[in-house]
Amino acid sequence: MTENGVWRLALPLALAQMLFFVAPLLLLAATSFATDENLRAWSLRAWRDALGDDFNIASVINTLRLGALAVLATAVFAVPLALVHMAAGPTLRRVILIAAVLPLLTSVVVRTFAWIVILGREGVINATLQGLGITSAPVPLLQTEHGLILALTQIEMPLMLLPLLAALARIDPALLDASASLGGSLFRTLRKVVLPMALPGLIAGATLVFASAATAFISQGVIGGGRLNYLPAQVWQQAMVVFDWPLAAALAITLMGSVLVVAAALSLLGAKARHA
Amino acid sequence: MTEFRRRHLLGAAMAGAALPFGGARAQGTTMTAAVYPGGWDEALRDVLAPRLREQGITVAFEPLFAVDQIAKARAARGNPPFDVFVLDPGPRVSGIDFGLFETFDPAKLSNLGQLPPGQADAQGAAVAAQVVGIAYNPTKVPKPKGWADLFKPEYVSKLGLTGFGTTFGTISLIEMAKALGGSVENMDPLFAELRRIRPSVAAVGQPAAMPGMFQQGQIDVMYTNTYTVTLLRSRGVNIDFAVPETGAAAFMTTMHIAKGSRNIDAAYKYIDAMISTPVQAALSQAPYFFVPVNKDVTPGADVPMRSISEIGNFVTHDWAKINPVRPQWIQRFNREMAG
Repeated sequence: MTENGVWRLALPLALAQMLFFVAPLLLLAATSFATDENLRAWSLRAWRDALGDDFNIASVINTLRLGALAVLATAVFAVPLALVHMAAGPTLRRVILIAAVLPLLTSVVVRTFAWIVILGREGVINATLQGLGITSAPVPLLQTEHGLILALTQIEMPLMLLPLLAALARIDPALLDASASLGGSLFRTLRKVVLPMALPGLIAGATLVFASAATAFISQGVIGGGRLNYLPAQVWQQAMVVFDWPLAAALAITLMGSVLVVAAALSLLGAKARHA
Repeated sequence: MTEFRRRHLLGAAMAGAALPFGGARAQGTTMTAAVYPGGWDEALRDVLAPRLREQGITVAFEPLFAVDQIAKARAARGNPPFDVFVLDPGPRVSGIDFGLFETFDPAKLSNLGQLPPGQADAQGAAVAAQVVGIAYNPTKVPKPKGWADLFKPEYVSKLGLTGFGTTFGTISLIEMAKALGGSVENMDPLFAELRRIRPSVAAVGQPAAMPGMFQQGQIDVMYTNTYTVTLLRSRGVNIDFAVPETGAAAFMTTMHIAKGSRNIDAAYKYIDAMISTPVQAALSQAPYFFVPVNKDVTPGADVPMRSISEIGNFVTHDWAKINPVRPQWIQRFNREMAG
């Protein structure tokens, strides 16, 4: 096959995407401009309801904020671990890799429900705190934003760690030696050599964690609960309980759009980082 | 799409139910019935499906919550993905409004005589009752007397609130509104109290998550049906059912034949077998704990009635009135709870 013909390899996936992804998306967009799900008459009512309402705007902001905090929390834990992985011998490397992938082998539903056991009023954390005499009454963790972020940090960790490990694995060890022989301290090498080269991995991880945490319907609902207001639950409720499909479609597009904007900004940063 | 699937998994995971699909037979009829995920799915596969197999009918079950059945049937636009719905009153009225059901002829049920009068009509037939009241942990809190008790400080910090998304949630909140001096027409007293207790309530959230929170001690009081209480107790949870002083609320779970179904005869046989005495008797016992609609079957010990004929003594609700205002209540609940 000539180089010019290589693009044909992407055809099957492209066709499948057109059929099963782009077409439904267009239908979704059309629904948001319709008066009802039969698409017989058109109106901007759903968009006015979606964007002209402080509650929904707050919901967008909360959702993006949750994604950002999840990215921050996963990065804080994943970066040191990735550095340990880079410095470790083959056995420890394998252990870290397995530990990183392990959560992916459990369903997100199981992981979410396990967090009820950990965060609950009589859960593992509160029992430990009270047993050690650190607190006298249960600390509210379940159904709080910080509890949700704690859970999402574990749930989304592989999405941050795996791209990071891949990026660090590509660093030529000779570069570290070169930096050291030129008088760079460990910290300086880390800051000037390792982290810049790890940046594309970090950005890829951030994009995945952001998109996944912002749309984590089950974790948001079960661990976060009804007092925290996020877009995915609004979409579900309008579509499945209220049967207002145009509003559900408008909110779904709002969710997708706001997550895409952040993801696009991150990938732009990533492209810059790679060429820097 | 992933989230959509996850939510179904949530239902399945709640009951720890596996979802094997019945293999189609070479002969006889194959039909598809929607069924609630979890306990219902398990029960109908074990008890109802074998009865139909004797009549040469193979049933494939599609586990879907009531609102999901309505959404899926609407999305299918006249080409129903299953032959039989199983619904609570709210989604039932939606189904009627959207024209999703075939006209039902109760005379085709050989077991019609076993149902209390009026429990089968041109829309479908009742197949189980649900009795809704207050569930509490007797080792943690005193027995609540009525709906208004839930707003007292000793219960609020242990209360699990769910909104208007489910039938049991909606009628419980209506009963609370009434106990606080309101009504279906005036829910303001309820919302004022909800706003007041919001910061100290133990949990606000998805109905499907409440039994798990109760089991884990996050909440010690919730509103639910007798079925959930008996099921949790059978799994070793400290839980009792309290009939509120204004009476427990009851409603019927009904089955309907989907408009455009190609297996109408099999669908009638399926519903007929569902209300038959042996099936209702088996479903009313462990590990299923259904509230039977068959007059000849005695409900389980947790159900505060000795026969379905007593259903008239329970608080019931007019869903034709509730459905038009429910979207506003849902919106308002969201807003009050999100602060």
